[in-house]
Amino acid sequence: MKERLKPYILLIPIMAVIIGIFAFGILMGFLQSIGIFKAAGLTEITLKYYREVLGSKSFIDSLEFSLYIALVSSIISIVLGVLLAYSIYKSKIRTGMERIFNIPIVVPHMVSALLMYNILAQSGTFPRILHSFGLIKEQASFPSLLYGKNGVGIILSYMWKEIPFIAMTTYAILGNISNKLSDVARNLGANNRQVFRHILLPLIGPTVFSSFIIIFAFSFGAYEVPLLLGPTSPQTLPIKAFIEYSNPSLINRPYAMVINMILTFISIVLVWLYNKAFSLMTKYKW
Amino acid sequence: MNKNNLLFRFITYLFMAFLILPLIVIIIWSFTKIWPWPLIFPKEFGLRGWEYFLDPKNNSLGVLLYSITLSTVVTIITLIISIPAGKALGIYEFKGKKLIEILIFAPIIVPTVAVAMGVHITFLKLGLANTFLGVVLIHLPPCIPYGVRILKNVFEIIGESLELQAKVLGANSFQTFINITLPLIAPGIVSAGTMVFIVSFSQYFLNLLIGGGRVITFSMIMFPFVKSGDRMLGSVYSIVFILTTMVFLGLMEILIKKYYKSSGFY
Repeated sequence: MKERLKPYILLIPIMAVIIGIFAFGILMGFLQSIGIFKAAGLTEITLKYYREVLGSKSFIDSLEFSLYIALVSSIISIVLGVLLAYSIYKSKIRTGMERIFNIPIVVPHMVSALLMYNILAQSGTFPRILHSFGLIKEQASFPSLLYGKNGVGIILSYMWKEIPFIAMTTYAILGNISNKLSDVARNLGANNRQVFRHILLPLIGPTVFSSFIIIFAFSFGAYEVPLLLGPTSPQTLPIKAFIEYSNPSLINRPYAMVINMILTFISIVLVWLYNKAFSLMTKYKW
Repeated sequence: MNKNNLLFRFITYLFMAFLILPLIVIIIWSFTKIWPWPLIFPKEFGLRGWEYFLDPKNNSLGVLLYSITLSTVVTIITLIISIPAGKALGIYEFKGKKLIEILIFAPIIVPTVAVAMGVHITFLKLGLANTFLGVVLIHLPPCIPYGVRILKNVFEIIGESLELQAKVLGANSFQTFINITLPLIAPGIVSAGTMVFIVSFSQYFLNLLIGGGRVITFSMIMFPFVKSGDRMLGSVYSIVFILTTMVFLGLMEILIKKYYKSSGFY
């Protein structure tokens, strides 16, 4: 009996934190989003806040902008990250060199935003270099990549951190796959591209996919980078939620919570997908 | 074949440049006095940025130490609760494991923004908002997944056989943990601890909301410089930020290696 209870006992402290803070926070947010918020004198369940938020043009713009940023930055990071991992694997650069790609892990997103600002602002390094080659005459002739609706600065900040992350997780697997599989395929007449497509890609697939979910969810729910490098309109959902939240009138809180719940809902769908990826991963044990 | 290798090498170095050049730019900026457009190198170098950072009037060092303390506390608590959880998930099979795993890893996916706003009012009622303890608590959910994930993998690798052997030989649970388990998982503790420290140290929004302007962390005093586009000071604070985590990583590795000479044996 004691043995059967053991794992549960070991899990009590962590579950206390997860349920007491994490799950509780989501639950409270949910209750406020459907209009139950005693502190503001609201006690009746209503879907009015959802209707209002979902029906507002500025919310839809924000949702689109958030999805756009998260999707574009994650997809580019995945593609380039896998390409980078494969290049490191193929080029056999000196061992230890690949450690350089671990640097972005210790650099917070706020700093990666500053890095991109330094390079890409109209007074930044990149326009200065173009100017020295005589390609642009003055600051203003460099297109403004930051603070715009195209979100170039935000996307590049994420890419700077995420490409190495994807590359390192993928490289860890590529390095562990024995060469035998590729050799067999080559003996049977496969070329490099076919080996990559039919041998390596299926093996790294599940890891790459679960990393995709992680970086997508992060950039979808992050606050700092879009605040630092994004346009004033449309804002991403987390910023919008915080603006509603900071409104001194408590009556406004449910709007913030509705935005949070939609963020959370989209994320939960992602957790579900993530879990699917995990079960796939165990299927491909090598 | 050879031509191909060259191409892959070129791609690798290209990415390395994308990674490193912006970092070199902030190092230069941090030592700059005057750097007007359109010069590619500064006109004059100076230490004004570093002097500002070290000036006791601005108390940046104090905030840095406070932040390090906060994240160290978060790291220790996270490790203490993640070790048993990692063991449970890494070694045992039990009912409801799947669900518990999903719950533990969910904070990676669910935005912390939503969680923090949800608990804020309760934290206010409990007197936890605007306190050190409150900020420590709100850091735990986003840190836990990293701690548990790494430790779970470690327990999966080492299994339970050595612990059982110690118990058969008459060791009690505490002795087994100190003499067998801890040395075995030491490398895992280092990597989990460093990941957790990084996650905690980089938080901005959680400190802003739950700290309520009373708990001031390093990311918070740095934010305005980045926001206002103050390149020199932004760069100085960024470098301090990165160095702090690197020093923490180094120290942790050295400490554990010294303490557990046996750690290399699995």
